Formats: sequence, structure tokens, C-alpha cells
Amino acid sequence: MIEFRKDIFADERDDNLNEIGKPTRRQDILGHVTGRSPFYDDHQFEGLLHLKCLRSPHHHARIRSIDTKPAEQMPGVHRIIQGSDVKVNLNTLLSLMNFGEDDEPVLSDKKVSYVGEPILAVVAETERQAFDAIAKIRVDYEVLPHVLDPEEALQPNAPLVNETMPGNAFPYHEKYNHQKLRFGDVEAAFAQADHIVEDRYQMSPIEQAPIEMCGAIAAPETNDRFVCYTSTQALFFSLGTAAKVLDVPSNRLHFIGGTVGGGFGGKVDSLHEPLAILGCMLTGRAVRYAFDRQEEMQVGAPRGAERWYIKDAVMNDGRITARKFTGYFDVGAYTRLSSYAIIKAAGHLPGPYTIPNVYADIYCVYTNRTPATAMRGFGITGVDFAIESHMDQIAHKLGMNPIELRLINSYMDGDMKAHRREAKNTALVECMQVAAEKSGWNIAPDFKAMSSHNGGEGWRSEIPHTVTDTNGQIGNGVPASTVRPATTSIPAYVPSQNPSYAAPPAQPARPVSPPTPQSNVQATPTAPPQASAPASSSTPKRPRVSRFSSISGTRRR
Amino acid sequence: MPMHSQVFSQIGEAAHALSSNRSSRYFGGGTLVMRQVNAGNQSFDTIIRSTDPSLKQVQISGDQVIIGASVTMSQVIASRDLDFLKSAASVIGGPAIRNMATVGGNLFARSPYGDFTTALLALEATVALSGGRSDVPIADFLTQRFREPKPLVISVSVPRPRDGNAFRFLKIMRVKPMGVSLMTIAAHLPQSGGRLANPRVAYGSMGDTPIRANAVERALEGKTLDAQGIAPALAVATEGITPRTDSIASEWYRREVAPAHLERLLLGTGG
Repeated sequence: MIEFRKDIFADERDDNLNEIGKPTRRQDILGHVTGRSPFYDDHQFEGLLHLKCLRSPHHHARIRSIDTKPAEQMPGVHRIIQGSDVKVNLNTLLSLMNFGEDDEPVLSDKKVSYVGEPILAVVAETERQAFDAIAKIRVDYEVLPHVLDPEEALQPNAPLVNETMPGNAFPYHEKYNHQKLRFGDVEAAFAQADHIVEDRYQMSPIEQAPIEMCGAIAAPETNDRFVCYTSTQALFFSLGTAAKVLDVPSNRLHFIGGTVGGGFGGKVDSLHEPLAILGCMLTGRAVRYAFDRQEEMQVGAPRGAERWYIKDAVMNDGRITARKFTGYFDVGAYTRLSSYAIIKAAGHLPGPYTIPNVYADIYCVYTNRTPATAMRGFGITGVDFAIESHMDQIAHKLGMNPIELRLINSYMDGDMKAHRREAKNTALVECMQVAAEKSGWNIAPDFKAMSSHNGGEGWRSEIPHTVTDTNGQIGNGVPASTVRPATTSIPAYVPSQNPSYAAPPAQPARPVSPPTPQSNVQATPTAPPQASAPASSSTPKRPRVSRFSSISGTRRR
Repeated sequence: MPMHSQVFSQIGEAAHALSSNRSSRYFGGGTLVMRQVNAGNQSFDTIIRSTDPSLKQVQISGDQVIIGASVTMSQVIASRDLDFLKSAASVIGGPAIRNMATVGGNLFARSPYGDFTTALLALEATVALSGGRSDVPIADFLTQRFREPKPLVISVSVPRPRDGNAFRFLKIMRVKPMGVSLMTIAAHLPQSGGRLANPRVAYGSMGDTPIRANAVERALEGKTLDAQGIAPALAVATEGITPRTDSIASEWYRREVAPAHLERLLLGTGG
């Protein structure tokens, strides 16, 4: 039962909307409930061939040699596809929007960096024949040391997971081995705080677990074109990726999708379409490449693991005057979409609260785990778990009502967010008021009377004097020395293996600028930190192609 | 190796085919075997089935009920004679799995599966094999189930509890419904004069096979079924048992939570 609280923001809303506030029928629901929706795997082709991949049994190994001879003569085998058959055998998904560097082979015949990484593909008349042929192929592996934890991966002597990414970290803005967010002066606020509250939070990878497993069928079409039926949730993204790695003009590819049997972000990565089409090109037959359930769980990219350290400066009255983050995104062996998730996270910090001093270093770290990718709200969900857990810890420490604590610190319309965007239509105050009312949670009359319209006054709308630094700078391709969250008193993560890693360098003492962070509203000219600086059209030309037009320049997935 | 399928109308023929071919597997309801087939398992290339109608029967024989190996979990749930096993059968997979999964097949499910077998173990069922013994104690059967030549199970005989409430079953899952077992507990708790007499407790997912909790049984003997009576049993909940570590839970976790779940089962506060 939906209740619309039309008394709130009544003057802001047009009530003549066609969809919002009205029941609506999903456009595809009739097909789904009558079993008539055509999924990619419902398309049948005469002489359809099946493609299966030989996958790495190791977290990390160099491939010395591959012997496919015993498999070539197996019954039903039409073709064995190797890395050398892929025209552009190195790709990164976001290259389609000029972000990041190609870092992931379609077929990895030199080195494997996670369990399940595809090494080659067999195209056969039945799946069984493809499996039987794969079982005959001999791969000589030189097993390499592996790293499965993001903080361990940033240690100076950690194994290099991805050769495109020195230091196992994605380079942001060609300058730093992490994404920076700087707003005000957190250290000055810490020095003045009544309480310091800090802790560490982490979450494991989450599999999207669609009912329909990822897959694609490609078949020859007239005029030297190829038709591709696919489960993708990003049809033109998949088309662009296939055109790039196969080095064919996109007008030779005819992609048909539209019915996705559950995606949730897990069907963006376009792993199947290029190989199915390549198999079709090499055999002249229709080729189907689909994950089985085991592959979907082990190889299909999940939401990645994250670890966050949060340190807050808190006053006795409940005001949070500074919040400092160190975040590690464990993105697995390859980038996929994770570099973007971190930019999104930086734009979200410090959560839906107005805090005058904010600091964040967020690392996109490569480990020998399954590459991570999109999943609903990726970049936001993990840190929101950390932030809201932390808010409850603060309330507990101060003995405060947790909703009142959030209302005290809530962002409001007109406030300046840490990424230099004005907060608009915040409505958090009203949301919490209604939530408290509905759940019978008592809040004081002053808090019941608050309004999200009353933000933007004084310091709340200003960009404060901001302390910047160059920690983690990358120079001429030399990996940056890693800076650990050294200012925390909570126990840092202790590496559980590879004790040969050297201790991290100590963080130099940071000069503390004059206090009074909240009253400092001078427009001191400061170089805007990289995190939030939107690249305007007047930005000087960059030699490389790794930038976004703005924080939200990419559609959410 | 292409996959072959052989269907026999007589159990004896199927048993012979199974025992004479090392690269064969028996297909009960297919919920275990087909998963291996679909993954391209190279260790077998022949599937053997039997359509013998006796495999589908449920018969009462004295104080025993004899369940054919091909009886599905859905049939168990629907059978009035097997009412006491309903609690176990209804937590095996979801409806689609229960329509296919068989009592005989469950005897071969590796941990963390095999919840129904855990129930049979607590009830001290016996297993009848084609061309072999007809009364193999289930605990013995479990230690040799994967040996060659492969046995073909015809039926299991289950002593019916005199008091229907004396049999209790609890499957602990993180995901509900249709979760994989973190720990399964089956207990047969007959009482005499208000005290437990010959109690039987079995755990699933705590080892490589369903196992009896012998220390718990000893500690419960002659005790009353209340907080005070069961306290010694809880103290030895995992004595002599090495819980497994898998993707569901670690050995440490299983050891820590076992007494709490055992207490809930014994006091009837679980579920």
C-alpha cells in the first residue's frame, strides 16, 4: 500500500504527471507472465555450434605453453580460438567513453590473473564435445604469487596483478594512485573536536545472480553482416565493445536484445558477444556462448568488495565537524567499470550530511580475484553501509537519539556538497521525519519542525579554505608509494600472508592550518582538488583520454 | 566422450549395468547427476536409469515403512504413511527440486546436501541394495556409498516412531526458503516415564557425511527434556565431531553455533 504524502513540497510538484503517483503496467509484463517474451536463448539456428572456454585453475600464473593438438581432432570440434585470433586482444569497457586504459585480454594466453579467467575457446557441435576437447588441452602454467586483499596489493612488494596498472592501483587524472576529495581542513577540526570516532567497515563481493545466465548467439547475415542475439543489458555498449575488439565497423554487427532475464549490473560486461561473433566469423556457422550456473557465480563479475576507514570529528552537541575517509575498492584483476564507481563514490561523500571538512582517498585496487563490475548503486552502497553504521556508533557514543543526530547533520537545500555542487531537492529531513513518525520513533518538537528548505545559510553554502596535498603522486609511470591511513588509532588491517611485504612508509606529519573551520568562509583561492574538479571545456588539453565530463557524466547502471 | 543413457525396466539389470561399468552413474531424479553432466564432468559417460515400478512404492511392514529409492520428496510430503518425515522432505530444495529429487539419490548427496539422509540416520533406517544385503545400517552405508562396484539402492526401511512428536528436525539456513544447510539436526527422542530412553541425534553438513552425535546421545540418556536436563548434552554438542569449512560457514562458526541450535531443537523453540 503506497501512501503519497502530498502535503510535503505541495508547491513544488506538478500534479498532472502521467506516470509518477499513478499505477503503471510494465511494458514487458504480458510477455513475461504468458511465457512469450523472447530471450536470446529462445532463438534457434540450424547447425548451431557451442563455444566453451578453457579457464584458469590458478589465481595467478604465467602461461608457458598451450598444447591444443589433442583437442583439434576430437569429434565435433570446429575451431579452437586463441588470443592471437582476437584482432584487438586488449580492452577496457570504458574506453568507449574515452576513460581508462585497455587492460584486459578477451582471451588471456600469456598470463592469467584470477581463477576462471578464459584462456582459449573451443567451438564444437555440442557443449559436451567442447568440454571433452577442453579436457584434452594441456596448458603449462608457471604459478605466480597472488594477492587477494586490496591493502596487501598496495604494498610495495606485492605481486603485480595487471601489467597495465603499475602498483596495482588505477591512476586517477594521470596524477595520483587514488581518487582524492579535499574540502576544508579535517586535521584542524580533529584538533578542536570533543570526540574522535573512527572505525573500519568492509563488505564482501555480491553476485547479481540473474535467473537467466549471461550469453549470446551470433549468426551470419546477408551482406557480410552478423546478427547477435544477446542477454546484454547495455546493447550499444556491447555492440561498441564487439566492434572494437573484433576490429570491424559497427554497421556490420546487428545486435538484437531487449529482453534481459535479470541483469542488475551483471550483464554490462560484454564478455559473450565478441567471442560468439568471432566464433561465427571463423566457422561460418551460428555460435552460442553462454555461462553455465557455475561460471555465472565464479566468473561473472560481482559487485566488488570494499573496505572503508572513517574518522570523524564530533562535538558534544552532535555536530560532525570533519569526516575523513580512506576507501579501498577491491576490483579484482581488471578494471571493467570500477574506476568509475570510485568517482561516483567521491561525489557522494560524506553521505547526505553537511560536514564542513571532508577528506577522502579512494583506491581502485587490483587483486587476483574475479573482476568486479556494476551492480545497483555501485560506488555508493558499500560506503553508505559504512557511513550509516558510523552514524549509529556516534549516536551511541554521545548517548543521542540516532535520528536526531542525523537531523542535526542533515544536508539541506542550498548547502555546498564536498564535490562543489549545490544540494537541491534534498528532502532528507522530511524523509526522516516521516520515517520516525511511521515507526513510532520519538523525536523532539524542534526536530519535527525542521525543513530541508532552510539550508544554504552562511558557511553552509561556501567552499571553505581547503588544504591540499600531493600524496600518492604518480610521476612518469613510476608507481606511487602507498600511503596507508596512518592517522587512525583503530587497528589497521594486518596482512595475513606474504609476510615479505615491506612495511608501508610512514605518513609525514601534515601541517595543520588555523582552526575555526566553520567560520572560515573566505574565498581563499585554492586549486580545486582533483576529485571534484569538473573538467570544463576550457580545461587545457590532456594528452590522454581518461576523464569524465562531469561527476555524473555517465549514466547510472 | 559422448554421453550415453541406458534405461532398464528391471532393477537387477540396472544394478548389473551399474556395477560392471566404472564410468557410469545412476540417475535417480537427476538433481545431482545432471549438474555434473552439464558441467562436462569427464569421470563418467553413461547414465543408467530404471523404470521398475517397485522403486516408486511406499509400503508398511510391521513397525517399519519401506520407501522405494525412486520415491520423490514431493511424494514423501504427500504420503500419509510418511507424515513424520514431512518436516525433512519439505526443506529439500524448492518445489521443482522436490518433484525430481529422490530418497535414494539423497543418500548420495555430498555435504552440505543430504538433509533427508540426516533424518534417516537419526531414525536408524536400513538400506536395501540390489543383489546384496537388504538391511545395511545407514551409518555403515554412508561410509561406503562411493565405493566400487557401485551399489544400487532399492529402498530404505525406516522404523516408524511410536510417538510422532518424538522425531524432530531442524535445518539451519542463511537464505530462507531454499537455502543450503549450515547445519541440519535430526533427533529421535522417545521418552519413558518422562525421561529420554535411547535418544538418537544426527547432524548434517557438519562432516563429510551425515553423522551421529554420539556424545550428545549419551548425555541425554535418562534425562528430562528441559533446560536443566539437556545442559550436559549442549556442553558436548560437537564432541568427537570436526565440522566442515565451506562457503556456507567455517568450522569455527559451526562449532560455536551448534549448541544454540541443538538447544532450540531439543526445547522445541527452534524454527
